[in-house]
Amino acid sequence: MSFFGLNSRGPQDHGHPAQAPGFGAAPDPFANISQNQGLGQEDNDAIDFDDTYDGLGDQLQEADDDFNDDTFGGGGITTKSVGKDFDFYGSTSKVTDAINEEALRYNHHQPSSKAIVASSSPSKHASKAFKTGYEAYKNPGYIPDLQVDASLWGTGPPQIAEDYGAKRSSRGAGPSYPQSSSGVPAKKMMSLEEVEAAMRSQPKRPSPSLAPQQQAQASGPFAMPPMQQQAPQVAPPQQAQISYPQQMPPSRHETEQAARPGDFAQAPISIQQRPQSDHHVVRASQVLKVELPARSSPATQAPQVAPAPAQILQRGQNAPHQAPDAQASPQPRQILQNPNRQSAQFAPRPPEQALPMQPQRRAPPSGQNGAQVSVPIIYHPSQIMHLSDEERNAYLVEEAKRAKRNHKIFLLSKGNGLMTPQDKNFITRIQLQQLMTATGNANEQDPDASLSEDFYYQVYNQIENRPRQNPQQPLSNFAQTYLFRTGGRQGGMGKRQRGGDSHMQRMEQQVQRAVEAAKAKPKNKQLVIEGSLGKISFSNAKTPKPLLNIKRHDSSNVSNQQSSKRAQVALSTTDRKAILKNIEAVYSTLMRMEDHDRRLPPPPPEDSDPTAVQKVMDWQQAFQDLNENLWRDLKVTEPILPDSAILHPFIAFLSYPKGKKAIPRIFNHIDENQRLTILTMIMVHLDILDVIRQAQPGAQPSPLSREQVDLFLQAVMPSLFSYVTEAPLNIVIGLLGLVTERVNLSAVARTRVGLEVLTMLLSRAAIVKATEATDDQTWDEWLGIYNRFFDLLEPLLGEVFPASVNAGQDQYVWQFLAATGSGANPEQQQRLVLAVKDRVMETLQQSKTLPPEMAFQRRGNVNLFMQAIGLDVDLLDG
Amino acid sequence: MLFFSFFKTLVDHEVTVELKNDISIKGVLKSVDQFLNIKLDDIQVVEELKYPHLSSVKNVFIRGSVVRYVHLPSAAVDVALLEDATRRGTWNSEMG
Amino acid sequence: MADAGDGDVAAVSEPLDLVRLSLDEIVFVRLRGDRELKGRLHAYDSHCNLVLGEVEETIYVVEDDDEEEETVKTIKKQSEMLFVRGDSVVLISPQAAS
Repeated sequence: MSFFGLNSRGPQDHGHPAQAPGFGAAPDPFANISQNQGLGQEDNDAIDFDDTYDGLGDQLQEADDDFNDDTFGGGGITTKSVGKDFDFYGSTSKVTDAINEEALRYNHHQPSSKAIVASSSPSKHASKAFKTGYEAYKNPGYIPDLQVDASLWGTGPPQIAEDYGAKRSSRGAGPSYPQSSSGVPAKKMMSLEEVEAAMRSQPKRPSPSLAPQQQAQASGPFAMPPMQQQAPQVAPPQQAQISYPQQMPPSRHETEQAARPGDFAQAPISIQQRPQSDHHVVRASQVLKVELPARSSPATQAPQVAPAPAQILQRGQNAPHQAPDAQASPQPRQILQNPNRQSAQFAPRPPEQALPMQPQRRAPPSGQNGAQVSVPIIYHPSQIMHLSDEERNAYLVEEAKRAKRNHKIFLLSKGNGLMTPQDKNFITRIQLQQLMTATGNANEQDPDASLSEDFYYQVYNQIENRPRQNPQQPLSNFAQTYLFRTGGRQGGMGKRQRGGDSHMQRMEQQVQRAVEAAKAKPKNKQLVIEGSLGKISFSNAKTPKPLLNIKRHDSSNVSNQQSSKRAQVALSTTDRKAILKNIEAVYSTLMRMEDHDRRLPPPPPEDSDPTAVQKVMDWQQAFQDLNENLWRDLKVTEPILPDSAILHPFIAFLSYPKGKKAIPRIFNHIDENQRLTILTMIMVHLDILDVIRQAQPGAQPSPLSREQVDLFLQAVMPSLFSYVTEAPLNIVIGLLGLVTERVNLSAVARTRVGLEVLTMLLSRAAIVKATEATDDQTWDEWLGIYNRFFDLLEPLLGEVFPASVNAGQDQYVWQFLAATGSGANPEQQQRLVLAVKDRVMETLQQSKTLPPEMAFQRRGNVNLFMQAIGLDVDLLDG
Repeated sequence: MLFFSFFKTLVDHEVTVELKNDISIKGVLKSVDQFLNIKLDDIQVVEELKYPHLSSVKNVFIRGSVVRYVHLPSAAVDVALLEDATRRGTWNSEMG
Repeated sequence: MADAGDGDVAAVSEPLDLVRLSLDEIVFVRLRGDRELKGRLHAYDSHCNLVLGEVEETIYVVEDDDEEEETVKTIKKQSEMLFVRGDSVVLISPQAAS
């Protein structure tokens, strides 16, 4: 290739560039070729093209008819290309100059032949360049084109072989491949071998005879037979080009000079022309093509390339002798190459050649040129000089356009051939796989797996859009789970409200039932009424208060200190992180259990096969295991150390919001005994629950602790309540006993949670007494516990109410009093009334200032208590 | 995918997106993708006087990476469910 | 954790497992740009994307007053529910309950 490059540059020096842009372009292509061989083909091609383009522009400006000769002789306008060429070509360039001069003379003498020669040689170069450029340009066909080209080349060689034999085919194939696809290493190697082969084969050619025929153009057929090479060349321009240069050198060596080579070139041209209708047009196009190829054709050394290769070949073979001949011949060869391309472009060849695309594209511009210029066919730079200004301008403009387009094409084609179709398929498959993973294939995936990816969205929609629920979806279970939960503090306000309300309603209903049950008891209403009324009427006087208050203060202070001590110690020593780990472990297990529920196998029929039974057994076993895990994580059964400074882990568990929230879900997955155990643990530690410890009226409750109270009432109480509602009396006795014996009741009684827990127990007992058959022993046991409890409670009754009457946040207290009163004997009821009569009167008084609705509610609260002890607020008003 | 799943439930809710360049844009969440790119409709720039160049824009696509915060309506968030969804995410990773 | 069989306090194997302990707890989050958040953690993922509830944001702004003395001014903002994109997060710290 280096040889080729040198050759190509030689022509440039001669001044082709100056006059004819096409020639100027040619040198660059050669440089490209050389570069391609050495390095990356594509990049080099692009660069060459650019250089070529610039050269053209300069040439256009500078070109003068007068200076044409000088230019040819004097040297290259494009110094760059010269420089590259120079190293190798130093001597050759001189030779080429001489050749050029000879060529000029020859052209003058035989214009037609010159034209043909010129066209042919450029065509070769152009074809190479064009191929790449065209392919790139047509983008869609990129790869296919490349492949096709290769195949064409492959096919081309055979054709050549047919004509000239293996030698030519091999040569043609070599050069063609590099041009079309990308750098084919074989080029240089092949070229050398081919050169030799060509050298030997050339003698066979009838170069002189062909030349005239070709020039005549009309003698196409004749040319064809003699120039078998030409024919193939015509078909595959690239091949033709390659073959020509190779062939040319031999011919030169053997015989002679510019004329002969020119003749050879002409032969192919003539062939091309034949297929085409107009010789002129063909010529013009050829010329244009020649120029284009020169610029574009990086691979084959384009116009100048043609000479260059020839020279190289010659040199390699017959170095000294050939030089002069080569000089004479190069131009004609170039011409020949050009014609090949043109021919290909023009109609006939496209089908034959695998590269129809390129030829077609080129054809239009060439055709235009031809049409415009009509007569003048530029096969040689010198011709341009002879053209009229218009013609020349048109020609140059056209050339500029082509150069521009080809430049773009080259830029676009940089990546051509980098990937094989297999590579592309591979990439496509990867992309498809990625798409599949991104989109997800619902059909293939385990519903649980897909659910875990989109858990929130799926379940949320189930909850929010219950009407749309699809019962077949397993999600409905999840929706149930979360729907019946109390919901979070910040979010799901509506749900929480509902939960809280429902709890309040249930508590109220139970108390109501207890009150009803109490009413049913035979009492001496009159006495109670009179006594209470009388005392109430006097109650406005503050006489009773001092006594009671003193006692309360003492007890409350002591109890406060005790409870606070206990609480503080517990808090400071609790391992927060360990507790949080427990809680998260519980949640993990809970979610597994909830998933497990959804996998509950259908109950096996009576006579089912063992596998179905086994499934159920396995499920139950797994459930049991999970339950044990859950129980262990809860730490409920950790030993209770009465005076320990360490908070019991389960109570610590309950002190976290998420611990409280877990209770309802836990209760769904544990058995009765476990529930009772939890309830017992809570009762034993009732006074040190955070919701009681931090809610003492003395301390200003923080918003957080108030939230904790709300959360406890919403999340924990309903679970406890639902258990107690069904509990037998002896369990209620046991629980109340725990509160009475082991808990600081004063701390409990002054908090809402404490009172509600007590209300829950007391009302249940009242209901059991009224609705269920209870043996006397158990009832006596209850009465014993109750009496002790009442005695402890009585001094605290003044402190059970929240601070202000006006707040109206005391419904739970009235419920508690009602529950207490419903289980009290007449004497205890009396004491009860005495303790709270002030609050009763204040509330009734205050309710009169309220709007009817609120007043009714307040009076209702009070009346619940009054009715529990056989009174009614209406009596007080009266 | 947790937050993609989460944001899908917030579609058609009004949110305020605060960008890392301190611009806050309030609008109706129209769509979100797995990169948490966000599309807002009926937008209104919170400090409109400060960023007048957005005053005529009615809807925006916000690249997820430029988001600092998204202020959400808490009523549209099921906190308990969200926490469990988060747990399931870590739980799955536990399972390897 | 259940996978570990015991459900018991499993070893914290990954940094984010520590964050899980703070789920539904109040956390302190430091962000790029001199910002801090305090709020209840409702969600997180491996990118440290977060959802916080009842958030208080504190922004520290350094201002030059008339005497050219730099004073740090704090701006506090509240948000009922906040998504925080993970690439702003510097650290997440559990905040002991007040």
